[in-house]
Amino acid sequence: MTQILELRGVKVYGYRGDRLSNIDLTITPGERIALLGSNGAGKSTLIAVANGSLTPDSGIVLWGGRPITHLRQHQRQAIGTLWQDLRLLEELNVAQNVNAGALSSRNLMWAIANLLYPLEIKACKECLKAAGLSTKIIFANIRELSGGQRQRVALARLLRQRPELILADEPLFSLDPILTEEILNLLLARTTRGPVVIHKTLLMSMHQPDLIHHFDRVIGLRSGCVVFDNSSDELDAKALAWIYQSE
Amino acid sequence: MNRISLTPPILSLLPALALVPVLAVVVTSVHVGGLQLLFEFFGAAIQPSLDPTVVKSAWRGLQITVATALISWIISTLLGILLGIASASVVWQTCIGKSWPAFLIRRILTIPRAIHELLWGLLLLQLLGLSPWVAILAIIIPYTTLVARVFSDQLDTQDRRALNALLQAGAMPFPALITALGPPIVPILMSYGGYRLECSLRGATLLGVFGLGGIGTDLQLSLQSLAFKEMWTALWMLAAVMLTLEQSINWLRRRQRANETTTNQILITFALMILLMSLGLPWLKGLEIDLSSSISWNPIPWPTLAELIGALNHLQWLKLISSTILLTLLASGIAIGTPPLAMMLWPSRLGIEVQSLIWALLRLIPPPLSLLLLLLSCQPSIAVAAIALGAYNLGVMGRLLKEGLEEQGNSCWKALQASGAGARSSWLYGCLSAQSPSYLAYAAYRTDVILRETVVVGLVGGTGLGWQLIESLGSFNWAQVILLLIVFATITLIGESLSDYTRHRWLRSTQKPALVLDLQS
Repeated sequence: MTQILELRGVKVYGYRGDRLSNIDLTITPGERIALLGSNGAGKSTLIAVANGSLTPDSGIVLWGGRPITHLRQHQRQAIGTLWQDLRLLEELNVAQNVNAGALSSRNLMWAIANLLYPLEIKACKECLKAAGLSTKIIFANIRELSGGQRQRVALARLLRQRPELILADEPLFSLDPILTEEILNLLLARTTRGPVVIHKTLLMSMHQPDLIHHFDRVIGLRSGCVVFDNSSDELDAKALAWIYQSE
Repeated sequence: MNRISLTPPILSLLPALALVPVLAVVVTSVHVGGLQLLFEFFGAAIQPSLDPTVVKSAWRGLQITVATALISWIISTLLGILLGIASASVVWQTCIGKSWPAFLIRRILTIPRAIHELLWGLLLLQLLGLSPWVAILAIIIPYTTLVARVFSDQLDTQDRRALNALLQAGAMPFPALITALGPPIVPILMSYGGYRLECSLRGATLLGVFGLGGIGTDLQLSLQSLAFKEMWTALWMLAAVMLTLEQSINWLRRRQRANETTTNQILITFALMILLMSLGLPWLKGLEIDLSSSISWNPIPWPTLAELIGALNHLQWLKLISSTILLTLLASGIAIGTPPLAMMLWPSRLGIEVQSLIWALLRLIPPPLSLLLLLLSCQPSIAVAAIALGAYNLGVMGRLLKEGLEEQGNSCWKALQASGAGARSSWLYGCLSAQSPSYLAYAAYRTDVILRETVVVGLVGGTGLGWQLIESLGSFNWAQVILLLIVFATITLIGESLSDYTRHRWLRSTQKPALVLDLQS
């Protein structure tokens, strides 16, 4: 199958050795990949390189066979990221934050108008519902929300973007078991609520080996190197220990 | 549920609407002959006069301005610290258990603060004649009270838990105050002190424009004789000093944040102040400006009640006050709204650097001079005065916005860029949104400053209370002068209260420490 994202010989230098070292990997449509690795292994760096927000020191990232740096700005809409720190816009309300996901397909005047009078409320509500949030909070300020609600607003924004590939950076971090289940089901496109479309291609960094069975493939990172890249069925205790082994 | 939301980024951009009526008026009043002169002015920037006589004269003027600014800065800072301590509630409460003396001193200090240094300069000129002390005192009087206000505010907003703990343990009031409040307040004071030096330099230049000597006078004379090349000689020299000062202060702030201990900071600051003071006085003397010469005292004849009533009836108060307020609003709109609008429309690195250069240029030219330049090609009006005043303050606001954005971090902006949002939209959402509460807090303070400065352009542009004041001063109508000063001070104090309220409202909504914002403004 044709790959949608490919990393070839990607290297990112850091102050204390390489943050990523000679990474070669491909992602094909429909794949659901778990990215494992201890803290500092390079998971967030890999996601930042994959979405084009971090340019590698060497190597190349291809999207649909084209260098990601050659993509037109609006074409980046196809790659959606759920950031570990969520990156919500604290000064804006929920609807305006969700609409920020649609900025790639809207012009500046729309962006300004949305700051004055939140637009396309129906679409926002659908995304909120799909993310498991009540539409009552649509005009609430982001600062008034709980941690779980904020996580879901970030997810609703991602759904509003309608990406073909989702890169999720530890989205299950600090969530209770019920919320973990809900967010995971949503990201894995098992749950559909309303007309919101969720593509099935997903790369998700995480620290929960017990959830690995939900994924087709596991990539293990250690000190910036891929030390495991196989089917999730192949991940046993020994492989897990190998990925998390300290240097 | 209210769907319309005046979000902080929109509130930062909306003031730019002031450009519409202002430009509409200015464009219709432009005459082509004057435009030719404006082009000549800008063309002269790249070929300033290098005639040794011109350079020597500008160099002498620059030295006078810098020495005046230094002396005024040192005296106003030291006096301001003392008055700040005397007007801090925490000091009185700790020492005598009551805070009313602090309140009383604060109220008294509002009067000299409400009057712009230029007005002080013009009044002192009447009282003392043409003495070098006029410019120095004109800066010292309002600046001392400004430093006192900021210092007492900072003292009163410090966390008092450490102080209470020391007092509880039996410490004497003054040692407890110094131990608990000294360490956090010293870095703040140093940072603010640096900012005041910049203000002193600008103030000394401005006073020069109105005939009180220094580089400002050179600039004014060159402009009057349309000698643009000579004017640029002085402007570039002033720019070099301003830039050096800005960079030195930034360097000191960074160093201060990095590792200096409080004791070292105090020692370095006071050593520097004493050094500069001991340089400043002989420096002026070397320039044949003798501060030890006797000062003549020409008291103003106090007007009778009948004269005061006559002045009250004679002046068109509604027109004067409304034009001052309109000028403030238009100039503030231009100053506050233009930098975010320009950065949003041209958010690339190159764009921001080009804009920074323009803002630096706008900060360089004192508003009365830019107004005179504009008047070469436009009819005098509130709109033209608003452009001159707005442009200068735009330079200040642009610099603050850029610095704020640089300190802010760019994670949200990067996230939006990665999601495919366009450069302008992602700047608006990812950069301006987070910065706008702080920016609006600066803006509230700046509006207050602009209100005070209306007098500066009013004097030149024939509008508002400032213009009337110079007319009344020129005709020695002291009854009018006194009434105008009272009205201007009252408006300024009302503006200051409104600005304080708005500023604190925005500061509460930002996660940035209030103290930092206060200092940056």
